[in-house]
Amino acid sequence: MANIAIDSVKERTFDAIVIGSGASGGWAAKELTEKGLKTLLLERGRDVVHVKDYPTTNLYPYELEHRGEITHADKMANPIANRCYAYREDSRHFFVKDDEHPYIQEKDFDWIRGYQVGGKTLLWARQTQRWSEYDFEGPARDGFAVDWPIRYADIAPWYSYVERFVGIAGNKDGLATLPDGEFLPGYPLNAVEDHFRNSVDRHFKGRHIISARCAHLSKPQPIHIEQGRVQCQNRILCQRGCPFGGYFSSNASTIPWAQKTGNLTLRPHSVAHSVLYDEESGQATGVKVIDTNTLEEIDFYAKVVFVNGSTLNTNLILLNSVSDRFPNGLGNDNGLMGKFVAFHNYTARISAEYDGLLQYRTDGRNPAGGGYIPNFRNVEKQETDFLRGWAAAFGASRYENRDSSGVGGALKAGLLNGKWSNWRVHSHMMAETIPKEENRVWLDADKKDKWGVPLLHVSVDYADDDWQRRQDYYDRMTEMYEAAGFTNIKTQDDGRRPGNDIHEMGGVRMGHDPKTSLLNKWNQLHLCKNVYVTDGACMTSTATQNPTLTYMALAARAVNHAVQELKQG
Amino acid sequence: MNRRASIRTMLYIAGGTLVLPACFRQSGRASIELVNLKVSDEDETLLEILVETLIPTTDTPGGRELLLHLFVLKMVDDCHSPEDQQSFVRGLQSFDGWARNELGVPFGDAENERRERLLERIGDAGDAVGKFFSLLKRRTIQGYMNSQYVMTNLVKYELVPGRYNGYFPMETADGSTEKVEGW
Repeated sequence: MANIAIDSVKERTFDAIVIGSGASGGWAAKELTEKGLKTLLLERGRDVVHVKDYPTTNLYPYELEHRGEITHADKMANPIANRCYAYREDSRHFFVKDDEHPYIQEKDFDWIRGYQVGGKTLLWARQTQRWSEYDFEGPARDGFAVDWPIRYADIAPWYSYVERFVGIAGNKDGLATLPDGEFLPGYPLNAVEDHFRNSVDRHFKGRHIISARCAHLSKPQPIHIEQGRVQCQNRILCQRGCPFGGYFSSNASTIPWAQKTGNLTLRPHSVAHSVLYDEESGQATGVKVIDTNTLEEIDFYAKVVFVNGSTLNTNLILLNSVSDRFPNGLGNDNGLMGKFVAFHNYTARISAEYDGLLQYRTDGRNPAGGGYIPNFRNVEKQETDFLRGWAAAFGASRYENRDSSGVGGALKAGLLNGKWSNWRVHSHMMAETIPKEENRVWLDADKKDKWGVPLLHVSVDYADDDWQRRQDYYDRMTEMYEAAGFTNIKTQDDGRRPGNDIHEMGGVRMGHDPKTSLLNKWNQLHLCKNVYVTDGACMTSTATQNPTLTYMALAARAVNHAVQELKQG
Repeated sequence: MNRRASIRTMLYIAGGTLVLPACFRQSGRASIELVNLKVSDEDETLLEILVETLIPTTDTPGGRELLLHLFVLKMVDDCHSPEDQQSFVRGLQSFDGWARNELGVPFGDAENERRERLLERIGDAGDAVGKFFSLLKRRTIQGYMNSQYVMTNLVKYELVPGRYNGYFPMETADGSTEKVEGW
């Protein structure tokens, strides 16, 4: 059996270990194996094999027992998961249920998780924007957090490298605030999205509406075909897993690619308990794993360890990696590990109507979702009472009104003969938040989960500046809507809890100085250099962009560095 | 609808929902297993007539043939709170009494025309019946619009559109559209 095979230390020794198989872990595994390193990829959840393990992917709505709805019992049992917009009957099997992995909410925090091979890449919103120089300079210029130890030029080639493989649909927009990348053809804006773009161009200097950039194959290239992926078919059923590989997931892309090298050992059902540290060499030697099937504790060894467990779990694993040398967590001499956790504020929406351009509607579905408004606030200089800014999504659509009044033949006719509505426009905010020391996570001293790992306390909340940024979003968007002739403008606070943006970041931040940060410019722990962290935990600040593309680029860059270091011995 | 199509419809009332063989019920009708709701054979018959009155058979199938009453029961059983379930069952019984009073005969025995007229003034029946009826109607419409029949034949659902056009011309008065290439 497996246990006998792993009895010998040799069988448990690899060149590299990667903890976590989501976006950044999948990338680390791909890069390491391609460079010839025998790599163990640990995943705490079950395996999900591309296509084969997407049970709902080809179901029609009438083939779903509750037509996509979540049952009352499920809602009662899983209030956290149910607050995620993507938690539906057809996707619920890819989400962690509330009782599967408890955590302690010091303040309300929705920790949305996907524990399986591929992690949340099966569930993500697939929006992919580069950070700009303004974003990396932000903390130093504005005096918060610590200075990023890298600048745009350090990561730009790695954005390109990752984008070519992932496949990003987008247009060359020529904006300094949102650098262009290696794009497949962008998805088009529709008639009213274009109208809004033109109106904003005319009336507001420095503000732009672009087609949202997303990880969909609008026109697959040979590198994508080689991965077994084909053109996105505009289904927008992405959270079921895509049988076409039309969008990027670890399952469709990096993991099978790593497997083809022959250098990957994928080990699902493996909770990373802690990183093992050897005081004599001053290096990490491997990872202690709990097999979730047998509850056995198994040590695996490697020369280099990548921690990509997702932001909060990466914090948890490192805080739990205690030794005589590091009693407070691996590399945590300064006591800052778990602190300065930040996120994106998604609590605001604004909708309106438009009575023009009624000669058009849309046909088919747009995987990009519509338009994107890059941050234009406090870019060149400080303009407002609050720091930093916000980005926003923008979309327009029409729907078929179906008259459901009446009964009998009149009702039936009303339902079957829809009448097109006027255009409805909608936007939601994606605001930067400022990392604050009091927004933090830590381990419980006594309580443990069923794998013997301490429970995580989460104390993360909004602050007053978040509401200032939100008011600015309402004000600026309202003036842009009015200039475009939109009517019936309605703002809406959606009341979501921190965490429900699913962009938690930080806790193991990068920086120049070991006294004020945990990771250096190569994503190595300052105090234990063969441990790399390239998921959201490494983030020094949050900017406004959807962060996944940046994690993937940092992961590829860090692997390149790690392999060079190993070669130099 | 031929028999094969009919069997397929039954299997799809609600995804994997098990349709019990007819012999399980005294009435000889198909039914489904319920976990929370306590519904008698008579209740189910009344619901069947109600969904058929709401969505009647015309040149296309109606609520009865599409088993919308079973869909409604399935959704109320699984997707509503115990309080909603109780008020649904109580409301159904109140409706039965109110209809008998108003029509002089049980709802199911009245002519279709009279049943429709009665449902049009459901507002007179009081809050309990009103709440029941709005839940029934909402779930009936959902079941109808999401039925295999409607999604295949009337308001077609595309699983794989394979296209997006943001400037699709609206139909002109004569029903024609200008031919425009998508991207």
